[in-house]
Amino acid sequence: MKTSYVAAVLAIAGKDLRVELRSRELLSLMLIFALLSILVFSFALELDRVAREEAVSGVLWVTLIFASLLGLNRSLAQEYDQGNLDALLLAPLSRTAIFIGKFAGNALFTGLVALLLLPLMTALYGKNMLDPRLVLTTLVGIAGFCALGTLMATLTVKTRAREALLPVAMMPLALPFLLTAVRATKGILTNATEWQAWFQLLAGVALIYLVLCLLLFRFVVEE
Amino acid sequence: MPRLLRALTIATVLGFAATLYLGLFAAGTDIQQGAVQRIFYIHMPAFFGAFTAFGLSLFGGIMVLAGKSADWDKLALAGVEVGLAFALINLLTGAIWARPIWNTWWTWDPRLTSAAIMCLTYAAYLMLRAGFDDTERRRTFMSVYSILGFVTVLITLFIIRIVPETIHPVIVGASPQNAQGSFEATSGVMLALAPSLLLWLTLMPITLMWHRYRLEDRLESLNRAKLKALSE
Amino acid sequence: MTARLLKACALVFVLLLALGGAAAQDSVQTVPYLQTSGFNVPVLAGWDNQSTDAIAQFYSAEYKATIRAQIVALEDPPAAARTVLASWLDIETGPPVYNGKVNLADGTWHVLAFDINAATTASVMARRHGQGSVVISFVEAAPEARTMLLTLAQTDDALNTAAPEIDLALDPFAGVELAQLDDAGNIDMPSGQWQVYERPRLRALGMVFGNDSYIALQEGELGNLAALADAYNRTLLGFFVTPDNSLYLALGLAAAFAVLGLLVLSFFWRSRGIQQELALIETLTSDEE
Repeated sequence: MKTSYVAAVLAIAGKDLRVELRSRELLSLMLIFALLSILVFSFALELDRVAREEAVSGVLWVTLIFASLLGLNRSLAQEYDQGNLDALLLAPLSRTAIFIGKFAGNALFTGLVALLLLPLMTALYGKNMLDPRLVLTTLVGIAGFCALGTLMATLTVKTRAREALLPVAMMPLALPFLLTAVRATKGILTNATEWQAWFQLLAGVALIYLVLCLLLFRFVVEE
Repeated sequence: MPRLLRALTIATVLGFAATLYLGLFAAGTDIQQGAVQRIFYIHMPAFFGAFTAFGLSLFGGIMVLAGKSADWDKLALAGVEVGLAFALINLLTGAIWARPIWNTWWTWDPRLTSAAIMCLTYAAYLMLRAGFDDTERRRTFMSVYSILGFVTVLITLFIIRIVPETIHPVIVGASPQNAQGSFEATSGVMLALAPSLLLWLTLMPITLMWHRYRLEDRLESLNRAKLKALSE
Repeated sequence: MTARLLKACALVFVLLLALGGAAAQDSVQTVPYLQTSGFNVPVLAGWDNQSTDAIAQFYSAEYKATIRAQIVALEDPPAAARTVLASWLDIETGPPVYNGKVNLADGTWHVLAFDINAATTASVMARRHGQGSVVISFVEAAPEARTMLLTLAQTDDALNTAAPEIDLALDPFAGVELAQLDDAGNIDMPSGQWQVYERPRLRALGMVFGNDSYIALQEGELGNLAALADAYNRTLLGFFVTPDNSLYLALGLAAAFAVLGLLVLSFFWRSRGIQQELALIETLTSDEE
């Protein structure tokens, strides 16, 4: 019996979600990390009113990226250590379906963290971070970043120093996201028209990486 | 050493000396920027040399994933190492040029930033590569990474067109004081630039990569000899 | 899929090569420049080029005027200005008609104007440059007119008119005020738009550039003052010294050679290491036998 493509994607993402709902381990870890990071940034940068407005988009993205790195590492490490990945590969499933399923799960968790972070930062920094344009930028950025992250985590999970290697291998590749997303966010927060150009660039980069990762995923799991 | 490689090496060394002569002596001094403008004849060709090397590395990666010979992986590795050296030359000479001209070693200009990201990406390639024990897995995974990494090369190339706010010059600009328009600042730019560009695009990366490839070959035969000695 | 990818890669590569070639093409409009051993000035079209290796000099027979730029080995700019005039015109200059200072983009310039004799007037700008001084001078030798070309900092840089500075310059030059002249509109020259004020036998021109006013005054038989002002202005603004930064060039070359050298050396070292290990393994295995 061959499972349909969409059903397979949903099943894999749903499995991650159910595991998470039961243990609440990953999401709470990511959330606490994100909260800590925001607090640490406020202290470290001694954010006064002006500095806060300048730095807030950077704080948001650095926090999100590191929180998602945390999640990515754990999500793939779990699959790999418990042999789930091999089981998934044995199943008559399309490789891209596995990728999309894992990617959807990761993006969902990071997206949730972001959606909780935005109102919190609105309250803490006194900037309207709930602007629909900002929410859209955040989600697009996370989608692209998690696509790359899912592939890179699958790739580094089989190396010796996987926890250390994932950020090192991934950050340079993810910098195009960070750069464009921070500029777009800053543009939205300061009401500058240039946010559109940066958002388009971000969406373009996200799309390129999504397609590339989708194409390359089968090489990372096939051995 | 194969005959062809020896010829290539000699041609590269002679060619490099010739382009240095053209850039340092044959071309006129830029009346606006002074002598430091001559760095340009290395700075820009070095980037294109890195482009060739990273491009060959991408090609090697694609060939490995397409199921071709494992030797393509050695080409990819050689491309990354040589390209990284060229990209480093590009960054360093750029910073040294910027000091007297822009009055700063570094600025977070989009083009400079993306060039630095490109360097970091390929530095990460070498680190990641060292993290694998299984050579077959390493071959596949590093091919995937070299394809992803090439995106940063393309971004560096096209960022001037995407983000027009860069202050990175396309070529020597107009005088800040000359309100009446631009003027010919240097004579013989193309005379010095074209051969240098050609050399860095082709001979330099190919020769160096071939040497690196042979080194990797020898390393592999050493590993084989070690295994054989151990099993005996 | 591989073939298609390869083709795409080749296409992108060729495209990029073409782009690189296009980027290297220089297609800007050019202004002819005179390069002397120490500095650069624009070549004045229509003026007689009398330059030597160390002095840039342009002469106009029509206006009986000369513009000269040179670098003198005197650290005091006013003294350098007087020395230039003394050696050039072979006279001792008396007290200046106008004496002032102005800060331009490339340093503080001393502005001096002299009545040399009945026929000749001289306007000089001079600034420190290293161990010497840059002197740019304008000498007009028409007996029927007196001419003075000055640069003054704007009293109020929010204004886009040179009128206050024309007023300031008119007093030492002719002992009159701007209010005694008529506004004669504007005149467009390559250097910009000049405001014109005149009355019989006296004309004043002014143009704002940056935060400074460039002023030209003429008394007597009025000639083409705008052309003179334009030529002097172009020389002043177009003058620049090629910076000496050959040390940075040396540093850049050293960096490039260092990286290339390290790469080649590392190939060499690694290759030698491999050879040594191979030799070691060989001796070990042959020992066992």
